[in-house]
Amino acid sequence: MEIFYYLVVSAVLFALGVYGLLARRNIIRMLLSAEIIFNSALLAFLSLASLDATYVAEGGSVVILAISLSAAEVGVIVSIALMMFRMKRTLDVYELKKFKG
Amino acid sequence: MNLFDPAFLSFSLSSLLMLISAILIVWHRSIVYSAFFLSMLGVGNAVLFAMLGFPIIALFHLAVYVGAAVTFILFSVVMLREAPTVEVPTKLLAILSSVLLAVIMINIFSVFNVQPAYTLNYRDLTSLLVDKYWFALIVAALALVTTLIEAITLARKEV
Repeated sequence: MEIFYYLVVSAVLFALGVYGLLARRNIIRMLLSAEIIFNSALLAFLSLASLDATYVAEGGSVVILAISLSAAEVGVIVSIALMMFRMKRTLDVYELKKFKG
Repeated sequence: MNLFDPAFLSFSLSSLLMLISAILIVWHRSIVYSAFFLSMLGVGNAVLFAMLGFPIIALFHLAVYVGAAVTFILFSVVMLREAPTVEVPTKLLAILSSVLLAVIMINIFSVFNVQPAYTLNYRDLTSLLVDKYWFALIVAALALVTTLIEAITLARKEV
């Protein structure tokens, strides 16, 4: 399969993730949409890394680090969502403004 | 293109699984099901990684991303009683932006009409991680440990 097809799948996933981020207000759903974007970025990154022998190992190591950091990021955002739900009984991101100060 | 070629079939099935999962993540009513479909998206992505010549990354993605991160979301979401949020009327703007983005990206990517040429060598990967990216590896390990502590703290309701 040509790289182009992988990149097309990645672009469509990216667009779906952007739609979810823009159209939703629920913090967990926004996180899930951001994760779609993350997955599409990984796919595009590895597709392009497989084109050149110099970048195969570099691409692989960067993706391993990115996946680890993404797991940590998920933990942080889910914790914020849980705290928000316990304090305000809602997951609406517009309510986050009231946390200021 | 041979429709019964195993590579083509696995690519098509994985891509279809990923696209349907992504649509359901955004549009499914229940967040629990959305989180479940994120794990399906991760599985499809891992298959594509393996097909590109990165089987060890595919296994890592399955173990760390699907096995830990998505499961963490899934179990945390179960703890929340869903309250419907009022959606803002930005759907048209969101659809326009995402379609425009997809068209621009596909246009840019159309120059890469070549086959994947190289596969991952494990020896290169490990030596790169240990020699060049050792500090980033330590930071990533610490970040994962921090997530573990967060999960334990949340489960014990200490905050």
